[in-house]
Amino acid sequence: MIRADLAILSLRSSVFSARCSQWTSRCLQAVAAVLLILWVGAYASVEAADLKNTIRNLYGSEGLHLEPRPLPFFTQESRFQASSLQGLDQLNTQLTSAIGLPSFSSSVTGFTFDLERGVPLRTTESLGPLLTERATTLGAHKLDMTLTYTRLNFTKLQGKDLNKLELTFTRDDVNGNGIRDTSGPFSFESDIIRARLKVDLNEDIIAFIATYGITSAWDAGIVVPVVHVRLRAQASAGIYDQFGNPGGTKVGDLYVHQFDSSKCDPPFDQASCKRRGGGEETGIGDIILRTKYNFLRNYGGIMPDMALLFEVKLPTGDEGRLLGTGGTNLAGLFIASKTYGRWFTPHVNVGYEIDTQELRQNSIRYALGFDARLLPELSVDADVIGRLKPAADQTGEHIHDLSLGVKWNPLSSWIVRANVQIPLDKNSGLRADAIPTVGVEYLF
Amino acid sequence: MSLLISRAASLLAIACVVVGAISYSSTPTEAAKILALKSADVDVYNDALEGFRSGVSQGSTIVEYDMEGDFQKGKKFLARAKSGAKPDLILAIGVWALQVATEEIQDIPVVFAMVLNPPTVIGPEARNITGASMNVPIEQQLALLKKVSPQVRRIGVIYDPSKTGWLVRQADRIAKDQGVRLVTKSIASSKDSFAALDAIQDEIDALWIVPDLTVLAPESVQYILLFSFRHKIPVLGLSENQVRMGALLGLSFESGWDIGSQAAELANGILSGRSVGDIPFTMARKVRLTVNLKSAGKLGVHIPKEILDRADAVIR
Repeated sequence: MIRADLAILSLRSSVFSARCSQWTSRCLQAVAAVLLILWVGAYASVEAADLKNTIRNLYGSEGLHLEPRPLPFFTQESRFQASSLQGLDQLNTQLTSAIGLPSFSSSVTGFTFDLERGVPLRTTESLGPLLTERATTLGAHKLDMTLTYTRLNFTKLQGKDLNKLELTFTRDDVNGNGIRDTSGPFSFESDIIRARLKVDLNEDIIAFIATYGITSAWDAGIVVPVVHVRLRAQASAGIYDQFGNPGGTKVGDLYVHQFDSSKCDPPFDQASCKRRGGGEETGIGDIILRTKYNFLRNYGGIMPDMALLFEVKLPTGDEGRLLGTGGTNLAGLFIASKTYGRWFTPHVNVGYEIDTQELRQNSIRYALGFDARLLPELSVDADVIGRLKPAADQTGEHIHDLSLGVKWNPLSSWIVRANVQIPLDKNSGLRADAIPTVGVEYLF
Repeated sequence: MSLLISRAASLLAIACVVVGAISYSSTPTEAAKILALKSADVDVYNDALEGFRSGVSQGSTIVEYDMEGDFQKGKKFLARAKSGAKPDLILAIGVWALQVATEEIQDIPVVFAMVLNPPTVIGPEARNITGASMNVPIEQQLALLKKVSPQVRRIGVIYDPSKTGWLVRQADRIAKDQGVRLVTKSIASSKDSFAALDAIQDEIDALWIVPDLTVLAPESVQYILLFSFRHKIPVLGLSENQVRMGALLGLSFESGWDIGSQAAELANGILSGRSVGDIPFTMARKVRLTVNLKSAGKLGVHIPKEILDRADAVIR
């Protein structure tokens, strides 16, 4: 009897120790991954202390300053300051407020039960969509770890080519008559400065995504992105008179407006002023915590599976270094999906995201698409993913993309994923021509 | 003298009884050791395990293991269990766990739960296995069909002998007892089901879908339901889902919890000394009935109020 007790205890302890060792191994792997991420994230270039304000500060923190002119000219050095500051600041805000993390979906592997056949069915059958969500969850006590790499090379801002942005600065009214004179001794008030900007903005994001099945219907997860952002801007400003003549208005042989050589990069030319700025930063981006609860599953008939997802984006990324948005975002998403014929799963995601820092940036998120298993180990997915900001008056009022992806399950617990996000409309927001993502996923 | 001997003997006997009783009561009752092997992590299996826990003899120790749909994992677990101290009983939840247990365990009682068509997994030579299947009792299914359509005399069944031959043989006997005749047509692949149905269309008054993987291919089920409407033949299906798709009636097990508690009753019998070989596997004790009134209207079948009152779900 005692022997039997001891034996069963030893069996239980062997099961326990097997679980423990399994968990120890999982924990060690997770800790190693987090340490690696933190180590990579700790690296930051010293080149750009205030990357976020690269464009605003392109001509210095006080905007465009001109060369003080000798009498009888009025002192002109600060006449374009307000206009240039406003223009550069607006562009800076448009660009930087539109930078954000792309979507990351949680995994949906596990089992459901086929009542008629009396067997569990693997829900990895179609491997799930890449950037959007299915209602089903991972499964109790399952741990899924994913590593993805995403490249964002932005090319358009509100439909304008980032290499050919143009800003026009006007000067203030010198004689105080309320207008910018186009004739007479004050006709130089109609001179303008036209700045042509070339902006090179791209991001490389390595995201570590872990999802754990708390119960068979409840998942919790974390997304830790390591972001490498590169922002470089070149501006070439020129002074023009009201007729478009370079150099601006002349009095005699002298130009009324001239750039301050100390504020321009060489080679210096009095009628034009070039400046370069920017840099690179690497670090932890905004960490996302998420949880999904699958409240309706396998109901039968036409009723789809349904789930609710809550997401908190924490301001862990340094806003000044362009690694994060600087605010906490809260999002809730309703998800519905249904699998037909065990291979085709249409899904819909609708939700609302609150930007606690700036409520005007609140957005409605939606996605509509499907994933389909073409082979037992290969699935494809297609989605229209959109984000609508009803109250926003700047960049990205309504952006919508087509997302196409493929997932391949070459080994039992390994999934390789690749995706490309293609803008359906480049006239809204800060857009890349295409956003590729590749990743690898392991299910413990 | 004889009185003395008699009283001394009585005293001794009483002392023996008292000492025996004291020693028996002071020895803790031996707790049964049960290994529960779960096929995968799905809700109905978890419910079955809970049902089993609630019904099995108090004090039993249950060690649970999820083989996560991986046969090798299940085999390794059982191999480990065999190499150590043998448990008193193994609970196999789901067909995969039963398959593994059937292959690996010959000398430990195995009780299964939540398995459909267990005879297709357990060989006739296995004397250490019994359990609670998910199958709905055949008597109830045939009786339901007769109650809904008393004029039903001939019930059509398409089946694959390798999958549900055992069930159809049993059903044939039960049908005779109930005064109906089974019109059976065997098939070897799901593609054969179309021709099989067409062949018996004039010979049947109702159709019964059996839990046969060959018959349950999606295209076959769709054809069966189409056939039902075309020939106005009521169909008894296996699930609420099939009823929603168009079957007139559906009978399925009520809950995993109840199947688990049935398995617990079998386990208690075995742990109290009954021979496993003497305990036949059981079918679902509680069943869930679904009725589709839309289909009834199309088929011109009147569903008695008694059936509607008893139905767990009615599709209107």
